[in-house]
Amino acid sequence: MFEQRFHFMHQNSFFHILISLIAGIYFGFIAAIIACLLTETSLGEFIDNIKSPEILSSIIISLETSIAVVILALIFGIPVAYLLATRRFTGRIILDTLIDLPIISPPLVCGLAILIAFGGHGLFSHFDVIFTIKGIIIAQLFVASPFLIRSARIAFESIDQDILTAARTLGASEFYTFRKVSLPLARNGIISGIIMTWARALGEFGATAMVAGCIPYKTETMTIGIYMHALSGNLDASVALSLLLIVSAFATLIVFKYLGRYNDPIK
Amino acid sequence: MIQLNDICKSFKETEVLRSLNLNVKKGEMFVLLGSSGCGKTTTLSIIAGLIREDRGDIYVDGSRINDVPPHKRGIGFVFQNYALFPHLNVYENVEFSLKARHKQKNNRNEVKRALELVGLDGFDNKNPMKLSGGEQQRVALARALVTEPECILMDEPLSNLDAMVRERLRYEMKQLQKDVGLTTIYVTHDQVEAMMLGDRIAVLNNGQTEEVGTPEKIFYKPQREFVARFIGMKNIFNGKITTLDEEGGVMQISTENFELTTVLIPSGEGTHVKACVRPEEIILMKSDQKTSARNEIAGRIITIFPNGPLMRVLVDVGGDEISVDITRLATRDLELKKGDKVILKFKATSVHVIM
Ligand SMILES: Nc1ncnc2c1ncn2[C@@H]1O[C@H](COP(=O)(O)OP(=O)(O)OP(=O)(O)O)[C@@H](O)[C@H]1O
Ligand SMILES: [Mg+2]
Repeated sequence: MFEQRFHFMHQNSFFHILISLIAGIYFGFIAAIIACLLTETSLGEFIDNIKSPEILSSIIISLETSIAVVILALIFGIPVAYLLATRRFTGRIILDTLIDLPIISPPLVCGLAILIAFGGHGLFSHFDVIFTIKGIIIAQLFVASPFLIRSARIAFESIDQDILTAARTLGASEFYTFRKVSLPLARNGIISGIIMTWARALGEFGATAMVAGCIPYKTETMTIGIYMHALSGNLDASVALSLLLIVSAFATLIVFKYLGRYNDPIK
Repeated sequence: MIQLNDICKSFKETEVLRSLNLNVKKGEMFVLLGSSGCGKTTTLSIIAGLIREDRGDIYVDGSRINDVPPHKRGIGFVFQNYALFPHLNVYENVEFSLKARHKQKNNRNEVKRALELVGLDGFDNKNPMKLSGGEQQRVALARALVTEPECILMDEPLSNLDAMVRERLRYEMKQLQKDVGLTTIYVTHDQVEAMMLGDRIAVLNNGQTEEVGTPEKIFYKPQREFVARFIGMKNIFNGKITTLDEEGGVMQISTENFELTTVLIPSGEGTHVKACVRPEEIILMKSDQKTSARNEIAGRIITIFPNGPLMRVLVDVGGDEISVDITRLATRDLELKKGDKVILKFKATSVHVIM
């Protein structure tokens, strides 16, 4: 059943049995919860629910906003990650901390901050953002882009310095080296960052609800839909949306792990 | 061709280069020899523009290149760990600098020629990470040579290879360098490598060039005590010239514990000098036998231990120690052991004098 990495690990040792047991309990717990969700509905019910106009609309809003977030996160995040990975400057630690802050802070707090900045007397109050799609995108970007930046930065940092130096001595400018060496070598880190950012944006609830409210057909994303339908007693609709999210997340992760394993340029 | 004037470089508190001067001629293989941490890599990095010098000037063909960025210097660099691009195959690795310099046309021929030059034709589509160390270093060499650079810098390119491959590649590299007439600065801490490869050698010490010269000069007639010690002249003694025999062409040097006869060099009586004798130039015998050697010192064996393929015998000569290298067989035939009385003999021409 187990394939050992090292010959000195024994399958019949007490420790081996212990860790296998703990892993089994953990796996069973997660699987059971997901199974409960899966068995809550039938395929026919699921399809009927998904086909309702309000739910379709929330799916489209979620897809649109999360894809926009990924694109914006790439445009801003890659340069920021590269800067942090390759330059030493004063204030670097502060910038670094600031970027990680949304990962740690509660999304509600992030949402409130955006609400204040863009609402009433805020610094950006002349942008019409509150209760709009733009608001959703800003809220999701704020919360989700740090994942891409972190992941890309670690990928850039782990490239062997001599390889980059070699590129320079071979006549490549820093920009050429960035495009032809750094980016390809950081590819896996960037892709995993994209997936984490996208998943975080799709699953975003607190900050989005705070900034964009829960207006059906206008600012109702899938997660907001799950919450609203569950509150209003339409549990079937919530379950359908949840299943959709979980299955797509599962599929994405599997595809990524497969790609990551077989296309690793280093191995 | 390449000239370094008064280069200084410090990292934080540590002064690595203190007023380093070098002058490399066109087409020569110039070896930088020095112990670990003496600033060899730093020197190459400054020439290539990868590190900025604190002070001093760098000239290539008479023009100052201090402010030229690394990718415009046209100086090739070969790294100790090869630094190949893992996401590109062998062909693409070699092609990289042609593309980076926007020389799109005729790439195919140039890449092929470079790969042939290093004996890697047919390796085009291989993944460089799956090649042996020697093959990887050949790829790195082809990659650096493909644009036919003015000169090439090599930082201990063979030190990660096993002895057999290293020897072969060293020979091939020397041939290639001569054939192409490539100006090369080669960094190593390996004396044998320096000796075999260098047209000239610079020994670095303390962030400066201690001495520059042909291998012959550096290894047999060093002018500096540091260099003499570095290249393994074990026996170095302070002394004073006592008599000059112009007719015989010899002179006498008196050290604290013994007298030496050496070949006459232009100097005056009373001059303080250092006399050096290589351990392998000394003949060791148990009983006095007639030889033509002019120098003869009696002593007692302190210890005997293996030193590579030879045996090293440490002999006490009235307070000083003299190292003698003899073959394993000779130690056995002479039945040498600790405490034995022995006589050391060597020729006047075997004594090298440093003023
Ligand atoms: N980037 C750096 N920051 C701080 N110190 C450095 C840096 N690069 C080199 N040094 C120091 O400078 C000294 C010289 O380093 P360098 O790499 O030039 O030595 P080397 O002669 O190439 O040694 P080796 O034979 O071990 O490669 C060392 O003491 C090293 O610790
Ligand atoms: Mg070095």
